[in-house]
Amino acid sequence: MAGSGVWAFAQPFSIQVIGLHALTGFIFIAVIGLHIANNFAPLKKYLKNRVVWLVSGLTIALGALFYIQPSPIKSILGLSGNLGPALDRFEMTEEGMKYDFVPSPSYKLSLDIRTGSTYSLENPPRLAVWLENQSFYHIKTLYASETTDAKEMLPYWAFKLKGWEEAKKEAEKKGVDLNETVDAVSGATENGSFDPADYIVPGETNSSMPYRVMIEINQPVDPTEKLEDQPSLIYQVEVDNFDPRTFQLLELVGYPVQEKNEEGKEEWAIYYVDERFGSAMELIDSALLSIERVTEK
Amino acid sequence: MKDKKSSTADRRNFLQSGMFGAAGLGLAVSTSSSVVMAESDKATIKREVTNEVDVLVVGGGTAGVIAAIQAGRAGAKTLLVERNFQLGGATTTGGVAFPGLFDAWGKQVIAGIGWELVKESVELDGGKFPNFAKVPRSHWMNQVHVNQFVYALLAEEKCREAEVELAYYEFPEAVVKTDAGWQVDCIGFGTRRQVNCKQIIDCTGGAEVVGLLGFERLREEERQPGSYLFQLGGSHNPASKQLHRLYVHGADSTNSRTATLANLTGRKSILAKVRKDKKRLMHLQPETGFRESYRIKGETLITVQDYTSGKLFDDAVSHAFYPVDLHTKTGVRPKPLKRGIVPSIPLGALVPKGSRNLIVAGRCVSSDRLANSGLRVQASCMGMGQAAAAAATLAVQGNTTPSEVPLAQIHGLLKKHGAIIPGKA
Ligand SMILES: Cc1cc2nc3c(=O)[nH]c(=O)nc-3n(C[C@H](O)[C@H](O)[C@H](O)COP(=O)(O)OP(=O)(O)OC[C@H]3O[C@@H](n4cnc5c(N)ncnc54)[C@H](O)[C@@H]3O)c2cc1C
Repeated sequence: MAGSGVWAFAQPFSIQVIGLHALTGFIFIAVIGLHIANNFAPLKKYLKNRVVWLVSGLTIALGALFYIQPSPIKSILGLSGNLGPALDRFEMTEEGMKYDFVPSPSYKLSLDIRTGSTYSLENPPRLAVWLENQSFYHIKTLYASETTDAKEMLPYWAFKLKGWEEAKKEAEKKGVDLNETVDAVSGATENGSFDPADYIVPGETNSSMPYRVMIEINQPVDPTEKLEDQPSLIYQVEVDNFDPRTFQLLELVGYPVQEKNEEGKEEWAIYYVDERFGSAMELIDSALLSIERVTEK
Repeated sequence: MKDKKSSTADRRNFLQSGMFGAAGLGLAVSTSSSVVMAESDKATIKREVTNEVDVLVVGGGTAGVIAAIQAGRAGAKTLLVERNFQLGGATTTGGVAFPGLFDAWGKQVIAGIGWELVKESVELDGGKFPNFAKVPRSHWMNQVHVNQFVYALLAEEKCREAEVELAYYEFPEAVVKTDAGWQVDCIGFGTRRQVNCKQIIDCTGGAEVVGLLGFERLREEERQPGSYLFQLGGSHNPASKQLHRLYVHGADSTNSRTATLANLTGRKSILAKVRKDKKRLMHLQPETGFRESYRIKGETLITVQDYTSGKLFDDAVSHAFYPVDLHTKTGVRPKPLKRGIVPSIPLGALVPKGSRNLIVAGRCVSSDRLANSGLRVQASCMGMGQAAAAAATLAVQGNTTPSEVPLAQIHGLLKKHGAIIPGKA
């Protein structure tokens, strides 16, 4: 239980880890039940002990603190598997998946992905959800399949993530303040800031920058008549922070192709999907982004 | 009228025989390896001339060039009057040598004569096309960079091949309705021309002929800024990158005085920049690029809702494709069209309300301001030019007015000349 709990702290979006943690939780409850049943008489005696009441009170108080999450607690939790004081949550629902990202108490972003007719629960496709700034640079991965082949199956996301990791390392080496804000005019540069909140929760609406929510999805080994294996597909939506809409659907953009740019560097571009594609287009039925923003008056 | 096929070009012959078949005395311009004669004869130096034509195209800019070539190729006796000194308008004289957008969502949506001219310019110049199968990161990445100089030359050649008569440095001063159509009095420096024509295609950008005739036009209190294009520092390599540009706020192409003011303002700020940046001025366009002046009030008005929803009009004759792109004092924030949307242009938006034998093409298309901010781009203007000319030419042939030509005939002629018809792909 403790092991899986710490593991969940490090990897809060892993279905496997959360599943394991839930299982150990149930086992733990069952074991406690058995323990109480077997030792009812001696346990009753303990209730007279003041220390027991003190420990119980402390546990309840801590539980409440972690549930309400005042800021010091939030910063501890914030160290969990992401970059800043943001809270992320992943949930499997009956129709699909739901991700919540709450970079600040005044901003909540949720992504509801409904699975389509070719999505198989037994053999689920690889999936990554991430955020990009307006210069097409990765700023945060919200979710990525944990399978060993994820990076190979989701090459566009992997390419973006790699670029971000390299840029971050480079900046750390140079001693650049990783959270320096980007000025609106030169916003079209590489990761000017590594804190996603800078893009998402602008201090002033006027200096806000658009950002994108991206999905890459790939079902391994899914040939069509004209394709040996359908490549991954990319969906996106752009969020205009001047005027973020409450609901926006992500749209299919295309599929990634590796090519050399003008400087001879390898990069991934997106190409339009054509008639060769089939089942891959039915993996996702819809992906709805909702944004709740409390605007200051 | 006969339907002409485009004759094969003989560029050397064109240079030797001078402008459009005139013969006689000449002014010799020598280069190190050849001598080119600019021909003139009694007709060209005569102060007053009269032309009897089927179609008069006024304005030889982005839309007008295509309109004239289409009318000529479809067999109409065509005259093109251009107040400046070369063809291409904003594409060449304005320096906006990156027409867009011919493609949408991985498919070509505008083709025909505009695309032919752009494609040949790129090929002759050894240039490069964008990869239209690739999703552009930003809309402007799929604009086609053309060499403005080559484009202007090819436009002239194609007009000549289509037997379009060209009249530079001239503009209409008065237009009168006649039994056969119109009498248009044009003036140039040292010249007067009376044009008797059956149809007018107004491609002046700001619907100048429509204005002369007193039909209603729309205009905003504050227009989008113009831009003056130039190159500082590094040398200007045509068709490679966009030029530097400075906004000219208040730029207005309405008349010679407003245009003079825009040019003076633009050039003054460029000179100030040269001094400030201490860099060499390597290239300067001859005039300001004007984004907005008058639009017509047509039989149909394209609203931003029509535009952004990709409404397929019943009388659609061409496509348009570009984000809603309104420039203001603080810059521009293009609003891309939703995936899969391709707006269409109805014939009714090219016909000034209540008019006959008159049609427009180009940025003055009947539209609200936001729709116009997307409709005004070059590939769309080229598509409109071709469609307007098809309607005007068929109107001449059928002795009617463009809006009464059966739509199937317009579509048929456009298709024959390579255009893509909305809803018929
Ligand atoms: C700075 C700038 C940037 C732009 N950026 C892009 C871009 O990135 N991509 C894009 O596709 N489009 C762009 N556009 C828009 C596009 O270039 C124009 O809207 C389009 O070229 C207009 O075509 P037109 O045929 O209506 O007018 P024009 O090309 O301006 O042609 C009008 C012609 O009529 C002539 N004329 C005017 N009045 C008379 C008269 N009374 N008698 C005779 N001749 C007359 C003019 O001299 C001119 O040659 C831009 C425009 C500007 C100014």
